[in-house]
Amino acid sequence: MMTIRDRGAAALRRFSRSTTTTLLCVVLVGYLALGVASSGSFFEGPSVRTFLRYLATPVLIGLAQMVALCVGQLNLAVGALGGFTACLMGVLMADQGVPAGVAVVAGVLVATAVGLVTGLFIVVTKINGFIVTLGTMTILQGAQYGLTGTRTVDGYSAALRDFGRAAPLNVPLVFLTALAAAALLAAFLYRATAGRRLLAAGGNPLAARLSGISTDRQIVLAHTVSGLLIGVAALTATASLPGVNRSVGGDWLLPSFAAPIIGGVALTGGSVAVLGTVLAAFVMRLIDAARAQFSLDPSWVNFLIGVVVLGTVVGGRIHQSHVAKRGGSRGSAPPAPPRGDARPAAVSPHPGGSG
Amino acid sequence: MTDVLLECQAIVKVFPGVRALDGVGLRLTAGSVHALLGENGAGKSTLIKVLTGVHTPDSGRLLWRGGEVRPRSPLEATRIGIGVVHQERNLIPGFSVAENITLQSPPSRRGLIDRAAMTDPALRCLGELGLDLDPDRPVRELSVAQQQLVEIAKALYTESRVLLLDEPTASLSPREAERLFEVVRRLKARGTCVVFVSHKLEEVFAICDTVTVLRDGASVLESSPLAEHTPDDVVGLMVGRAHAATQLRPREVDTSAAPVLSLDAVSTAAGHRDISLDVRAGEIVGLYGLVGAGRSELVKAVLGLDRVTGGEIRVHGEPVRIASPRQALHRFGIGYLTENRKEEGVFLDQPIARNITVTVWKRLAKALGFVSAREERDVAHDLVERLGIRIAGLERHAGELSGGNQQKVSLAKWLAADTRLLIVDEPTVGVDVRTKHAFHELIWELARDGLPILLISSDLAEMITLADRVVVMADHRIRGEVDNDRDYERMSGRIIRVIHDRATSAVRPRAVEA
Repeated sequence: MMTIRDRGAAALRRFSRSTTTTLLCVVLVGYLALGVASSGSFFEGPSVRTFLRYLATPVLIGLAQMVALCVGQLNLAVGALGGFTACLMGVLMADQGVPAGVAVVAGVLVATAVGLVTGLFIVVTKINGFIVTLGTMTILQGAQYGLTGTRTVDGYSAALRDFGRAAPLNVPLVFLTALAAAALLAAFLYRATAGRRLLAAGGNPLAARLSGISTDRQIVLAHTVSGLLIGVAALTATASLPGVNRSVGGDWLLPSFAAPIIGGVALTGGSVAVLGTVLAAFVMRLIDAARAQFSLDPSWVNFLIGVVVLGTVVGGRIHQSHVAKRGGSRGSAPPAPPRGDARPAAVSPHPGGSG
Repeated sequence: MTDVLLECQAIVKVFPGVRALDGVGLRLTAGSVHALLGENGAGKSTLIKVLTGVHTPDSGRLLWRGGEVRPRSPLEATRIGIGVVHQERNLIPGFSVAENITLQSPPSRRGLIDRAAMTDPALRCLGELGLDLDPDRPVRELSVAQQQLVEIAKALYTESRVLLLDEPTASLSPREAERLFEVVRRLKARGTCVVFVSHKLEEVFAICDTVTVLRDGASVLESSPLAEHTPDDVVGLMVGRAHAATQLRPREVDTSAAPVLSLDAVSTAAGHRDISLDVRAGEIVGLYGLVGAGRSELVKAVLGLDRVTGGEIRVHGEPVRIASPRQALHRFGIGYLTENRKEEGVFLDQPIARNITVTVWKRLAKALGFVSAREERDVAHDLVERLGIRIAGLERHAGELSGGNQQKVSLAKWLAADTRLLIVDEPTVGVDVRTKHAFHELIWELARDGLPILLISSDLAEMITLADRVVVMADHRIRGEVDNDRDYERMSGRIIRVIHDRATSAVRPRAVEA
């Protein structure tokens, strides 16, 4: 029997080999390199504040996509729902004079409700989630245009602006919001029974059903949580942007997939990596910051992110086939086979006679 | 002493057109290993599904410790105390060993998983089976054999008193199988009843105490002590005399002709060793073996889908290396009628005509690679007539056809390509009796017209109806060859003995006139 210490060591070994550890190193090295290259100005208060403020939304949309991926679904409406919700919050405050708190809560609730309805629609009609969210994406883009038209809504409440600007100890509140959401999500997925059911249904739907887990409910739950996170992302975006218009959310879809994939989440479902997704968003933000710092061509950013996504997937594939080749030979030793005398003689291998 | 856990009384289950179970009785006692035997299609799978709540029986009773039970779902069956380990693995790959073992009712407090409390019962279950596995390790990192043992531990956690193991050794090495038997003995010692479903009689006689034999959906031997029987007895009961092979018109085979396809001491990456066989023009050579014997894998290696690691493959006497099915078809004229009709045989959402001509588009193609719709129809029409495929129109989708007609479409595409050698894999699985007969006549006629055919089948009656010679495989090796005298009872006994009895496998039974 293995001891507690053995198991601790095994857990440590697993962690040191994980994608998350690699990403953590990339983030640290990248951040330091960027700081040194900018002769230290990147470590100063204003730079740090800006860097982290615009990291909040990418983290949240990455997590929103991750929750959908973990039950084997794709959510194409991440950007459209986020943009629509941001505009809804803006219009409520600027045009209707609704107080910031009420507008924000209303926005988040609407986003959650849209997620819930999407999930129910997928389960009831049994139409592939890819197609359903493709539809809701287009509908929401239309709704967003209907709300704002061609104008930019910027006359919204000072309270929300203050929230977006506030940065105690140079850490913006919006970033803390994203981190808090990530922490709650991690606790939900890793510790709560409901979260475990989500992962079980994504990992092996058949085995989950045989254990009394309804996969339909998990799909609905995943889309609802995804909607909730998009609502929070809309909040951080609205608070930190100078104004909202019909283009908000338009460029969220690719990063929402890139973060979880780079973070080590399988597209086939059943796996999550909250810290990995957060760190992957960090890496992409670093690339973006480097572009701003050195005035690089913006097209290079997309090029680099694309290369990183493909590289991660190819790397994972190579790692997988490596693991498969080594089979179960790694880690703890297999139990010893019974002694020779206990062995049923009839099943010994033997060459057959040929015909 | 005899503590009966589960009893089946006259279980009947009818599916459209088939009485899958027709009066099955079974008594499972605590602390024993019970063998459930029968040929393919005898009703073993259906019985397992009835016991585990997947199917509800149409009549008959299930008694759990004397009280009647009606499990309506696998979950309800587990709650009663009936667990099953299927042939396919049913674990969540990303979850740890402990999480998988406790999946059904994870220890939790106020909706939060209690990880520490999860490890202890998992370690206890693993310990009872004598397994030393890290409970925190994700199961995707485990070998197939280890995953199977985790599933058994899972059944212990849910306190299954009856545990069904469906073909548990099919994908295990002999060493892994020994470890499994050790676990089975431990389960028996702690009062569990293990139901052991297997085709391997050696294993059955090594570890089982009692035996039930199913034939054509009925229990022909019911919970009898295994010590009172010999392997020959049991085989006789499994095979029976009920289904005699159909007699087709006699057909001349020129056994002196040069072989079209020869395998000479071929070994493969899939584990085949020293495989030698010949197929001559106009000859139907049967390749018989139980599930997992490696027949389909051998064909995949011949077609270049798997690596050939030794020996020689000859086509018309010329040594060849076949790199892909594409090369096999276009250069050597080898067609492969797959056993997975729906996945590999036909394009369900494509028109019938296109399904038939898929192998000859290159020949039909005109300038710029366009295929003339009329020529396509002509080719398809000829074959539909020739094979007697019943269709509403050539433009209808293959998915609308019955299984038998889909199979004919699948065959038609190889005939369209003027195949010079046809490999037929389980041609009549899941088709009704009449279509089956028509299909047999079709294969028979193709051979009479001179086409060499390699037939793979687990259906013994089909083998004896069609094959001129039966080559018997087990464990990726050829165990022997039997000339077909088309006498079902004599043949089936011989073939099964070649599989199970090593002593006779080296002896080639005398040739019998066809």
